[in-house]
Amino acid sequence: MKRPVQSLLLTLTGLGLLHTALFTDTYLRYVKAGLRVPLIASGAALLLLGLTAAVARERRGGSGRGHEHGSGHGGGQGDGGDHGHDHSVTPRIAWLLFLPALSLTVWAPPALGAYTASRSGAKPVTVQKKGFDPLPAASPVPLTLTDFTKRVQQDRSLAVKGRAVQLTGFVTPAEEGDGWYLTRIIFTCCAADSQTVKVRMYGTEAPPADSWLAVTGTWHPRGALGTRTAEAALDVTAAQPVAQPVNAFTDDLPLRPS
Amino acid sequence: MEKSDEVVAVAERVTVVPVAPPLRRGRRWPLGAALAITAVATAGLLLAGTAWPDQPAVRAWRTVCLAITVQALPFLLLGTVLSGAINAFVPADLFTRVLPRRPVLAVPVAGAAGAVLPGCECASVPVANSLIRRGVTPAAAFAFLLSAPAINPVVLTATAVAFPGSPAMVAARLLASLATAAVMGWLWLWLGREEWLRPGLRHRHTGHQHGHSRLHEFRLGFQHDFLHAGGFLVLGAMAAATFNVAVPRSVLDAFSGSPWLSVLFLAGLAVLLAVCSEADAFVAASLTGFSPVARLVFMVVGPMVDLKLIALQAGTFGRAFAWRFSTATTVVAITAGVLIGGLLL
Repeated sequence: MKRPVQSLLLTLTGLGLLHTALFTDTYLRYVKAGLRVPLIASGAALLLLGLTAAVARERRGGSGRGHEHGSGHGGGQGDGGDHGHDHSVTPRIAWLLFLPALSLTVWAPPALGAYTASRSGAKPVTVQKKGFDPLPAASPVPLTLTDFTKRVQQDRSLAVKGRAVQLTGFVTPAEEGDGWYLTRIIFTCCAADSQTVKVRMYGTEAPPADSWLAVTGTWHPRGALGTRTAEAALDVTAAQPVAQPVNAFTDDLPLRPS
Repeated sequence: MEKSDEVVAVAERVTVVPVAPPLRRGRRWPLGAALAITAVATAGLLLAGTAWPDQPAVRAWRTVCLAITVQALPFLLLGTVLSGAINAFVPADLFTRVLPRRPVLAVPVAGAAGAVLPGCECASVPVANSLIRRGVTPAAAFAFLLSAPAINPVVLTATAVAFPGSPAMVAARLLASLATAAVMGWLWLWLGREEWLRPGLRHRHTGHQHGHSRLHEFRLGFQHDFLHAGGFLVLGAMAAATFNVAVPRSVLDAFSGSPWLSVLFLAGLAVLLAVCSEADAFVAASLTGFSPVARLVFMVVGPMVDLKLIALQAGTFGRAFAWRFSTATTVVAITAGVLIGGLLL
């Protein structure tokens, strides 16, 4: 890889990181919000480095190549069989870095959706040991999919019985039959470790896959409420399309884009 | 369209790249470029006009691949900045002065000293090489080579972030990696032969040299290490994303059911995936079906043995060394991981 290409690659990678984390919110499709500052810092550093490399080469002009290649870095010596870690020769593997750099700037892949959700098993819900607080009085009660599942399967006080709840997630068609799930994908660190929370929906036709909905309804009675046998399922009374929340990949109530 | 075709083409090259010896990279450049252009053009012709990039599996693959890369880039950058700084600003003979004279003692000290070289495994190979050339006993240099990518603060921090709420995992990774590094150093003292090493390891770049601006050397070293490691990072991300998207969870479950098979399976996976040590904790965290011990083994083996490392070592130290060393390290690392994981996790 020649030096101008190296500067270009560094600059492009830096711009890509800045684009995804500073100028837009697309980084939230891939990683958690906490990584924003490191990403911006890395982007700025790479951009600076790429520009410095380009400027330094300009300044040195014609003698530049000779200096960087010949002296001190082992480029001119040996029989050609021993260039394992020579600074003037960057291995071809570095070309691969162009892919994420270009992908970040001009061709950002979409957020994970129904395809991933339908192929992963439901995330095991942790057992809540300390018991449940009473549900807020609001109707419908906004709950996360995880909270709803916990309430249905673990809450001995049966607080959700007969209550209207509001859940937000995207649509994942069921693999068999015409049913569908309301789903959220949750990252631990990045999209590679995503886990899926699903709640089965009853009473309406399946909306288009991947569309975000705020669904209002009551628990679909199947199994004994408050025990493991209860199915995390909802009888839908109303389903309203919503924009994808800012915090789409966390296990929290949705934040609306402001 | 065009860019997606590049993705394919490079993915096809993936199998070739790590196996090719990293020697003479510079000389083969035109051939490599010609090959790459041909591959891209062929893929472009084959795929033009198809709906291929819009397949949900391909989109998920791209998302996961980019996510791993984006997640790891800041860590990789930090690692290369620090290792570049050490290369350029730490005096050349510091390590020889600090290490004990007796090799048996120097091995564990060098292993523990790995903690001060925050970098990933790609950076530690050339550093170990330069240590040997400066008179550090090879056994100590190898202990350093193995421990540095596994136990430095950047990697341990990443591990803590990836496994929130389980500090035992961080401790187990530290101990198992240190143990493996020390055992391998002692094994080299006991059984190792100098003639396995490439004869006449020539002096190369590491460290500051007279007559050069330190800042200039730092920038060049950093640039090289970042681009080099970054390329391997993308490669690892591609492999991991392929695995992540293509392999149904049921296959994983088949292996995760049996404790012994799962340990061996994840050890093999660590070798094949070749994820950078600064990112492998996140991959391990995503393998949710597996026991903590198996995931620990993944994180102990990964930084010490993988496809890209074997290629790097073969290029730096010689092929006779690389395969012996990698095989022995895998066995020792699995044993250490199982023993220490069994105790702590």
